Amino acid sequence: MMSPTARLVVRRLNQRNQALAPFFTSTKSFATEASFETRPFKLHKLEEGPKTSVTVTRDEALKYYKQMLTIRRIETASGNLYKEKIIRGFCHLYSGQEACAVGMKAAMKPADAIISAYRIHGWTYLMGVPPLGVLAELTGRKSGCARGKGGSMHMYAPHFFGGNGIVGAQVPLGVGVAFASKYRGDDNVCFALYGDGAANQGQIFEVYNMAKLWNVPCIFVCENNGYGMGTSAERAAASTTYYTRGDYVPGIWVDGMDILAVREASRFAIEYCTSGKGPLVMETATYRYSGHSMSDPGTSYRTRDEIQEVRQNRDPIASFKEKIISTDLASADELKAIDAEVKKEVDEATRKAKSDSEIPMEELPADIYAAPLEEEVRNVAPWEPLRHKRIGSAVNLN
Amino acid sequence: MASALTGRLGRQVANKFLPTLLTPKLRLRVKLEHGFRQSAALFVVGSEIKMPSLSPTMAEGTIVKWLKNEGDPIAAGDVLCDIQTDKAIVSFEIEEEGILAKILVGNDAKDVKVGTLIALMVAEGEDWKGVEIPAAGSAAPPSSPAEAKPAASQAAPAVEKKTAGGHSGGQGPAVHRLLEQFGLSSSDVPATGPKGNLLKGDILNLVNQKGLKPKAPQTVLPPAASKAAAPAAAAPSKTPAAKAKPQVAKGSKFIDVELTNMRKTIAKRLSQSKSTIPHSYGGIDCDISEVLKLRKALKSEGIATSVNDFVIKAVATALRQYPHMNCIWDGQQAVPVGDVDVSVAVATDTGLITPIVKKASEKGVQEISAVVRDLAARAKQGKLQLNEFQGGSFTISNLGMFGINYFSAIINPPQCSILAVGTGRLILGSDGKPVQSMNVTLSYDRRAIDEEQAAEFLSGLRDILKDPSRMLLGGVPPSMRARVGI
Repeated sequence: MMSPTARLVVRRLNQRNQALAPFFTSTKSFATEASFETRPFKLHKLEEGPKTSVTVTRDEALKYYKQMLTIRRIETASGNLYKEKIIRGFCHLYSGQEACAVGMKAAMKPADAIISAYRIHGWTYLMGVPPLGVLAELTGRKSGCARGKGGSMHMYAPHFFGGNGIVGAQVPLGVGVAFASKYRGDDNVCFALYGDGAANQGQIFEVYNMAKLWNVPCIFVCENNGYGMGTSAERAAASTTYYTRGDYVPGIWVDGMDILAVREASRFAIEYCTSGKGPLVMETATYRYSGHSMSDPGTSYRTRDEIQEVRQNRDPIASFKEKIISTDLASADELKAIDAEVKKEVDEATRKAKSDSEIPMEELPADIYAAPLEEEVRNVAPWEPLRHKRIGSAVNLN
Repeated sequence: MASALTGRLGRQVANKFLPTLLTPKLRLRVKLEHGFRQSAALFVVGSEIKMPSLSPTMAEGTIVKWLKNEGDPIAAGDVLCDIQTDKAIVSFEIEEEGILAKILVGNDAKDVKVGTLIALMVAEGEDWKGVEIPAAGSAAPPSSPAEAKPAASQAAPAVEKKTAGGHSGGQGPAVHRLLEQFGLSSSDVPATGPKGNLLKGDILNLVNQKGLKPKAPQTVLPPAASKAAAPAAAAPSKTPAAKAKPQVAKGSKFIDVELTNMRKTIAKRLSQSKSTIPHSYGGIDCDISEVLKLRKALKSEGIATSVNDFVIKAVATALRQYPHMNCIWDGQQAVPVGDVDVSVAVATDTGLITPIVKKASEKGVQEISAVVRDLAARAKQGKLQLNEFQGGSFTISNLGMFGINYFSAIINPPQCSILAVGTGRLILGSDGKPVQSMNVTLSYDRRAIDEEQAAEFLSGLRDILKDPSRMLLGGVPPSMRARVGI
């Protein structure tokens, strides 16, 4: 799709080794870098936007590819486990939206923070939790990143303020996290993510106001996957140009199916926020393949053909793979090896997440507080209290 | 059962695919057959697809229809099959890609437990025909977490399947339970109740007399072993290819014959036809002496034709002459059809099917004869293609060979008429001489065809059969009728 516009920067990795070539059996050389044109960004109250010409190195490309693929596999495994009734309760899958998370993560500095809603399995993995930590959390076993006590909506990691089960409630919290950065005087930003459905929540407009008033370094990210819970964005929102809905908060629209476009826009947004100009709204136009949650088959308000059309023509992983191969950043075989490696890792994690044990009863009241003021936790019968314990290490304390 | 199946399949697979399977690219597992057998079977390890839970309360589901066949490539997001949950029919989408290698639970399989292995998939490029069918154990639903109860505590007592021996009356649940508890059969205990019914007290008396001890409940195998065996054992009988044999339950006087899909379709379509189409009927006796003479003459020259071939030709010619009869009903109105495509009812083992003699009016009797023979033969083998039996503008059903004098048939929608052909018989003609007569009865859709039109058609048909040379006349195709002013 993008190959005609792709411009290859010819700097051969093995140039130095050309003289040695006869000594190697394989002399296949790959491009170390390639440039691509992204779809144009749309701007709201911005003079200038990010560059549409983006460059990616071979190492970066392979890393992003692997990350996106791992997220896809984790989500596939989650869906299957849910259908086997091993994962119960809530479960919201990110398949189709991988380029958004991986693109943002690629632009984030190590200490930048992120907070999102409940479609967070992929983010948890990106923020440092291995696939087993995600899957075992979903199955409620002790290897889970919240020791199986949080489930789908409540996973946390350093600088990842987690999922939030209440629609839109994470956005004010995200502004708070960003405000803390401003208060401390560091130059970190916070990405506060919400969907096109939550974009109609009143609290989001309240914090647009506060964030702009105090020029808080918060990036409001509206992941617009086209559908809220049970209906399309067009049927639910008076305005679907979500990047303009901050009114006095400048905004930018980016193709959320293109990982490099998202990365470029996120870089731009971080730079904008850390330069003291205050918040920014970023809308990533993306698509979710599965239903809103597991109880939504996802085909009552859209056709299966539409989903298959996106899968075939706009899939973030498949299109990025095509770019990598067409610009010679890596061979198809190399990517295949990554596919196999990721599959093996996630399969192994899935197996373990199924066979792992649950935490014992004594651990039930553990890790409720980072610094408990009272050791006793009220039980069903008030005269039989449970004792608070600290087992895991607390994250994001300051 | 399961292992026997795997073993047999394994050897077949090994013999058949050994040369091709030995390419290094294929990820194969060499599985040595147990015992001292030297031969090794080669398998592709497939990924398992289990009965999914597609509603929060679903415990078991019915596979309504597989939308993919074995060997079909699967893309992420494809629908594998439609599954009836406890609430609705839901499409089962698969997120992985590859090739559907083996369907283990076929269409219409009822109440398949969630977690039961229903199919196997292999990666693209692997030999799907060589997929390994997992042995007992691997298909088991996952073990419950750490604090799983010991198997014994969940175990249910063994259920005695024996029918009540001498006791014709019902058994109370308490009686039933006691019999189970002490491992007794109802015939072991003398019954004292009314009508020879067994009472709780009867069993307790016997227990006291003989000092019986309750039997330990029979341990149910852990889920790993028992559940895995179930799908494997159930699979062969549930595959659609296997012919459904009437199952006679032990001691039962009834045989349940499950409908085949074809019978279900026939039932549905005929009920719809007979209950929604206003059928009207008209019959006529045709003199077929000339046809029989002609047929005999041809036969003496070595040209084999049947009376039915002449009937088809005569009907096709008549349809050309009375084109308003050659129509279909589209729900609102009668739509004339250009070609005369005559469907011919053919009986097969599974039910009646109506292959089509296309453009019958343009074919000679000999050609019609050849086409019908070919279609009928393939219909009986179930090898007809969809376009060979779907469509058609008129149907002929002939029971003459059974000696049926006359009968009436049900219209095959969207067609508007069907002709029921009876047997040829000698009757006394108006001139006192014997005449070979054959009754034909037309059922027609009264919405599309008037009585008068049907009568005209029938008398036209009679005239053609009486004088087969009229078949030469043919008729004028509707497309030309306007131009020549008919």
